[in-house]
Amino acid sequence: MTALFHPLVPGAWLPGDWFHRSLPTNIMAGENTVIDSSFCFKHYYAADSIGLRVGHHVTIWRTNLAVESGGMIEIGDFCYLTNASLICSGRITLGSHVFVAGGATIVDSDFHPIAPAARMADTIALSSRGDRTRRPHIESRPVVIEDDVWIGYNATILKGVRIGKGAIIAPGAVVTHDVPPGATVAGNPACLMEQGTT
Amino acid sequence: MNGASLQLAHDWYPGQLPANIEVGEDVYIDTSYGFSGFFSEENPGLVLGDGAGAYSLTTFLVQPTGRVSIGSYSCLNGTFVICSDHISIGAHCLLSWGVVLTDTWLSPGSTAASRRSILRAAADDSLRRLPCFSEPRPVTLEDNVWVGFNAVILPGVTLGQGCIVGCHTIVHEDVPPYAVVVGNPARVVRFLDPNETTRSA
Repeated sequence: MTALFHPLVPGAWLPGDWFHRSLPTNIMAGENTVIDSSFCFKHYYAADSIGLRVGHHVTIWRTNLAVESGGMIEIGDFCYLTNASLICSGRITLGSHVFVAGGATIVDSDFHPIAPAARMADTIALSSRGDRTRRPHIESRPVVIEDDVWIGYNATILKGVRIGKGAIIAPGAVVTHDVPPGATVAGNPACLMEQGTT
Repeated sequence: MNGASLQLAHDWYPGQLPANIEVGEDVYIDTSYGFSGFFSEENPGLVLGDGAGAYSLTTFLVQPTGRVSIGSYSCLNGTFVICSDHISIGAHCLLSWGVVLTDTWLSPGSTAASRRSILRAAADDSLRRLPCFSEPRPVTLEDNVWVGFNAVILPGVTLGQGCIVGCHTIVHEDVPPYAVVVGNPARVVRFLDPNETTRSA
């Protein structure tokens, strides 16, 4: 039986990994921070010196860490990510003690233009005939998840959102606006269920 | 399986099925990948009835005290079963991809301090097992239930016989037999005729 978790070490080949790739070299991780497979980096294209910075005592399990060339994901201490998806073209920041439950998605961009003509041009630039350097401009707005936030199963956090310290995102919520500290939000679009008491 | 761990033929994942699962005849299990978070110490920790199937990335995240039972001919296709105590799925159920069934989530009014202690305990565990988030409340799916993709069934919920839960629906409360529920939070939009056999859409 292969070990479930391995230390997150830049450039490492994980023993017994079912996905046969080494971890990226442009990542940083603290002590006691672990990951299950290099598959988490299948869509990691960060080109800057660091595209993923992770603190201490973090668990990353079956989580899609998709980073575009100029992007960076930052994760604080004692975070736990399970079967989640972080898709980052600019900056996604998680504080400490953040829990991201299964099926949750966090994105900092729409990844394609809203305008129909620009979107059509984007499909061409993205195709095998096209030139990705000629994609239209696509806005990216940083996502910040502050300390002690819990994100429920199948919840979605969209671009530009700041989730205040200690907030709880109910399962299935689609968060399009900032969430105040300590609040609980639920629904699509997410609405305030409980004010923060902090 | 039924006493000895079993290596599935043609499994792409280098794992095994746990010893404490009980499978009926003609059960199909795609891969042991879905069992890497199966820590049940109950015997059996999982029962799969005759003709039941755990397809694709169906995943069982089961705590040492967790027990899951799945009735005959039920089909789980990329479903997540997250169990600390008891999750019971009847016969002839259909569960889609991205569906989460869970018997624990945060109780209202959970404190940041209590949540931190959960994460710190997990970081100290070599298998990174998470302690219970709250007192578990069993989840029951009666027979002939259909749950659409990415729906979430929360602790304490019973889905009545023959009901349908639409895709992306978030279910906090019991669903009556033969109801159709959709939305977040779930609401009943109609009732099905239990004896109708012809309607296809």
